[in-house]
Amino acid sequence: MFEMNGEVDVKMKKKKKIKKKDRLEGMKKEMDIVSVIHKTRRRESWREYGLTSSKAAEVLERDGPNELLPPKGTPEYVKFARQLAGGLQCLMWVAAVICFIAFGIEFSRGTLGCFDDLYLAITLITVVVVTGCFGYYQEFKSTNIIASFKNLVPQQALVIRDGQKNQINAMDLVVGDLVEIKGGDRVPADIRIIFAQGCKVDNSSLTGESEPQSKTPECTHENPLETKNIAFFSTTCLEGVATGTVINTGDRTIIGRIASLASGVGNEKTPIAIEIEHFVDIIAGLAIFFGFTFFVVAMFIGYAFLEAMIFFMAIVVAYVPEGLLATVTVCLSLTAKRLARKNCVVKNLEAVETLGSTSVICSDKTGTLTQNRMTVAHLWFDNVIHAADTTEDQSGQSFDQSSETWRSLARVAGLCNRAIFKPNQESLPIPRRIVVGDASETALLKFTELAIGNMMEYRERFKKVVEVPFNSTNKNTLMLSVHELEDPMDLRYLLVMKGAPERILERCSTILIKGQEMPLEEQWREAFQTAYMDLGSLGERVLGFCHIYLNENEFPRGYKFDSDEMNFTTSGLCFAGLISMIDPPRATVPDAVMKCRTAGIRVVMVTGDHPITARAIAANVGIITEGSETVEDIATRKRIPVEQVNRRDARACVISGGQLKDMSSEELDEALRSHPEMVFARTSPQPPSSPPLIIVESCQRLGSIVAVTGDGVNDSPALKKADIGIAMGIAGSDAAKNAADMILLDDNFASIVTGVEQGRLIFDNLKKSIAYTLTKNIPELTPYLIYITVSVPLPLGCITILMIELATDIFPSVSLAYEKAESDIMHLKPRNPRKDRLVNESLAAYSYFQIGAIQSFAGFTDYFTAMAQEGWYPLLCVGLRSHWENVHLQDLQDSYGQEWTYAQRLYQQYTCYTVFFISIEICQIADVLIRKTRRLSIFQQGFFRNKVLVSAIVFQLLLGNLLCYCPGMPNIFNFMPIRGQWWFVPIPYGILIFVYDEIRKLGVRRHPGSWWDQELYY
Amino acid sequence: MATLKEKRTCGQRCEDFGRFVWNSDTGAMFGRTPEKWVYISLYYVAFYVIMTGLFCLAIWTLMYTLDPYTPDYQDRLTSPGVMVWPPTYIEEDVILSYNLSDKTSQRKMSNCLSNFLKPYNDTSQQSNHNCTKGEYFKQEKFEAPHHTKYSCRFTQSMLGRCSGLDDPTFGYNGTTPCVIIKMNRIINFLPNNGTGMAPHLNCTILSGHENIDMIEYFPTNGTFDLSYFPYYGKLAQPTYVNPLVAVKFHLVKEREAKIQCRVVAHNIAYQDSYEPYQGKVVFLLKALK
Repeated sequence: MFEMNGEVDVKMKKKKKIKKKDRLEGMKKEMDIVSVIHKTRRRESWREYGLTSSKAAEVLERDGPNELLPPKGTPEYVKFARQLAGGLQCLMWVAAVICFIAFGIEFSRGTLGCFDDLYLAITLITVVVVTGCFGYYQEFKSTNIIASFKNLVPQQALVIRDGQKNQINAMDLVVGDLVEIKGGDRVPADIRIIFAQGCKVDNSSLTGESEPQSKTPECTHENPLETKNIAFFSTTCLEGVATGTVINTGDRTIIGRIASLASGVGNEKTPIAIEIEHFVDIIAGLAIFFGFTFFVVAMFIGYAFLEAMIFFMAIVVAYVPEGLLATVTVCLSLTAKRLARKNCVVKNLEAVETLGSTSVICSDKTGTLTQNRMTVAHLWFDNVIHAADTTEDQSGQSFDQSSETWRSLARVAGLCNRAIFKPNQESLPIPRRIVVGDASETALLKFTELAIGNMMEYRERFKKVVEVPFNSTNKNTLMLSVHELEDPMDLRYLLVMKGAPERILERCSTILIKGQEMPLEEQWREAFQTAYMDLGSLGERVLGFCHIYLNENEFPRGYKFDSDEMNFTTSGLCFAGLISMIDPPRATVPDAVMKCRTAGIRVVMVTGDHPITARAIAANVGIITEGSETVEDIATRKRIPVEQVNRRDARACVISGGQLKDMSSEELDEALRSHPEMVFARTSPQPPSSPPLIIVESCQRLGSIVAVTGDGVNDSPALKKADIGIAMGIAGSDAAKNAADMILLDDNFASIVTGVEQGRLIFDNLKKSIAYTLTKNIPELTPYLIYITVSVPLPLGCITILMIELATDIFPSVSLAYEKAESDIMHLKPRNPRKDRLVNESLAAYSYFQIGAIQSFAGFTDYFTAMAQEGWYPLLCVGLRSHWENVHLQDLQDSYGQEWTYAQRLYQQYTCYTVFFISIEICQIADVLIRKTRRLSIFQQGFFRNKVLVSAIVFQLLLGNLLCYCPGMPNIFNFMPIRGQWWFVPIPYGILIFVYDEIRKLGVRRHPGSWWDQELYY
Repeated sequence: MATLKEKRTCGQRCEDFGRFVWNSDTGAMFGRTPEKWVYISLYYVAFYVIMTGLFCLAIWTLMYTLDPYTPDYQDRLTSPGVMVWPPTYIEEDVILSYNLSDKTSQRKMSNCLSNFLKPYNDTSQQSNHNCTKGEYFKQEKFEAPHHTKYSCRFTQSMLGRCSGLDDPTFGYNGTTPCVIIKMNRIINFLPNNGTGMAPHLNCTILSGHENIDMIEYFPTNGTFDLSYFPYYGKLAQPTYVNPLVAVKFHLVKEREAKIQCRVVAHNIAYQDSYEPYQGKVVFLLKALK
């Protein structure tokens, strides 16, 4: 089935390529028409005002939404037919046809029992159709899931309507709309640029040109594809800003006309698909090999061709794992649901499994590891460093706020601040409110709001008289403002100032200590210096604050303060304190990083921040662990030059963008190999040699499976290059989201860990399910082997095998998909996709030659029991076949001298089928229990935690009972009502399987890496 | 997604396979070093020795629990099968056909019957007990020599004109062929549930009524005498012989008829279409010219 799909895909791709070329040629001509059209459509859209909402609604009504209609996919009936005509299904069809032919021939001869073949054929067809329907239904469902995921991340467009800028869904754009695009956006429709500033567009999705095209308002060419003033739908704006009018929407856009291009996202084969294909190949090969061998042997022994064909068919059917595809789809859709609950959107479900084998995560700092908001972290006043609460939900400890100095400091921080809350957010918790203002002012505003209370009202009380803001042009690194005091009797003005600490200190002559103004002596200057250094080394951004009460006489009420002239005191101020800010790590991140570490995954941080900040954050979240030193640390500690330090002694390493640029790829490989804890700082995000890309390539050279998180346009090459790209849902640009395989809707690093866990779980559960499915092949095969070699009456019939494969064992094998992760799943090293296959030798050997063998012994014990108790001793059975199967012999004597007709013997044979079936079922119950875990004891995993599995066992038993005891079964499915005690014969073997596997797991846990572990761990 | 996209050439695959067969770095053959091969083989040998041991133990226990005289269950043997002699089949059907003008075909039939009756000759039956007719011969204890039970005598001569003593051709030289009907033996089976009524054979003509003039039964009335029941099994009654009923058909006209012979008793079923030889046998009798 997989092979088929693959071939089809390849063919389709080839066709598409040809079409693409032809169409592009045609396109250039066609576009002339478009250019004519858009010239005539110069109207309705004003540069500032845009469309009116009503007009837009009208046009939307007329033109329909701005989205590409999904390309005509494969028709549903073809999809269904494909489910019915896969490789394994074809084998089953052939088998059914053989049965029909056999039935036809035997019926015309009037042979007794010829209806068996008819029933067999009907069963086979039913099975193919039922599994086909199930597969189709699952495919349908998962397509829907993925489709709904696509809707979860709608494209947004910034549109100007009624003179207001609005963020709207790109689907609602209409012709004539005025839209703004900026670097990182996907162009939301075909637009004609009317204003551009350094705007560059990546047209590669349309034309294949990878060179960014600059866009300007000038029409430079007749051909719209060449002209500079048209940007196309679905292309990406790399940098700059532009404004333009929409000239085409939806399917009328250029990309819409080349629909195949839009849908031509290649279906690359994922590791799990490769694994399953590999497995199906092996199984089909084995089935045909064994079937053919038995066919030849049967022919040799003297069976009729037809009978031999039926053996062949039975063996093929016994080998084909009918439930596997169902299990895979169930696994994947279960995971999709679980991940969606954790705010992870997976574009391609199978990519989750790749995430499970990830060994390196290259993570962006901002927004992923950190909260992406500046927060006050520390304060220094009264010569003490106080730590502020940086948690997202303000659940942390606060500092002592009783000091008089703190009040002054908070007042300065609150007043000397231009940031304001957007209105109507009173219901929101303070940290979540939206603020207009720069990052550090926002931090200070929120901090003071939390500490003092309503800042807006507070500022009202201290009426602002004049303000001198930060100004980057005249290099003013200070900000000051002058306020009236809240006490109407006090007519002094208060001047508050903040800025770079050393510049603030320069202007101060006194310092507030415990509310008292003290002269700024050398000891305080030193204390200041130490505190400043300490805070700086934490990677925090430090601001100094000071104030002064202006002399009442010199600056009476009504004094004209001039912000340009600065006609007021700006020196000799009183120093209040330092406040430092940082973008703090998310609360969940340190834990998640820790989990990654125990799961054998390296987390590499890549950030544009200063190395010191980067290092501080890395240490905070645990990327650099406590006690790890960089080369520089060792050098300082040992007081030796950096060059003399043995680089291998340093676990951690911080590499700046500049250093990275100078490194050869070998050097980088070496660095990645020798330092387990890596941080890349001050990386300049310029493609094509953007640092993430280089790092990803280097990791891949070292054989790692790399996951990359990113949000910017410049990250998309790295996201593509990575084995699994993860884009941020909130901060991420459209380009990044397009390039990624997975999107974190909440931008939370911890979700990646969940993804890893789910990925590993899929792999584990598939492995368990396959191991379960494979095991019973042996007890299904050995009866034929013994039958042919030792000539006993046939212990297990074809229909019985089919019943095991298709009825009783499918549900348990699917139920393993619901198995919870083993508790140590995140304590193991990631799998190496090149070596640790889904189905490996030890899995097959353990299932076939150990558990399968025990099951066979169980089956034969029960078989001989049933035979002996009905009168046929084991030794008599040996070599009995030719007499037993002689239709003309009506008085065959058993061990007690009783005489049996053929029909009586046949029913006895059915009884044997049934007891063998029951034995396999009982052993399979033990099997499904042992397969719940691969390493842990079942007692650690819990017997009843997987409710689906428990109900599957109950179902299996009920179905077994139904098949045995339902009237009419003997002549339809060859099941006989068997004696109750024969159910109990295989139970000791079931217990043996259970105990043996517990011993195996104990050995594997106790002696990792030992011979036992190597041979018996699958 | 860029995982594992590398396409390997045939040469690389061959090389990989070569390394699998013999890896000079680790000294591994087919994935294991010779030492490890020995270990794993020993492990499997031990595993299978233990498993076979357990299996043998299970079978031994099973045999230990079995009663040598009577089987534990007779689920399939609720009703005895019935068969006609000579049992000549053509495909699925019993067709007793012989040629009036062909001595070999006649001899084939008569030889079959005389061979079948060999255990019933007087000398063989001499050792068997002469039982009281008309009642069950129930034996609680092992009174016969060698810790066995007595078996009743059934001699060839009881079959009268079909005994082959007077007419070694069993009527196959003419139009009055004999067939012998045997009911299968089942341990402890009592026809008519021990009511004391003897089962008897009843042959009916299914088609070709006009071709059969007369049917004769030997012993008279086609009775299976009660003294042959119950059967106590091979070990208790090593010399037991099944009671027989011979039927002589007088063929006329076309000399062809389809006949069903049924053993009549309350507890002998005969209507199950899936068990054609249960309590009855259907055969085609044909004397060709």
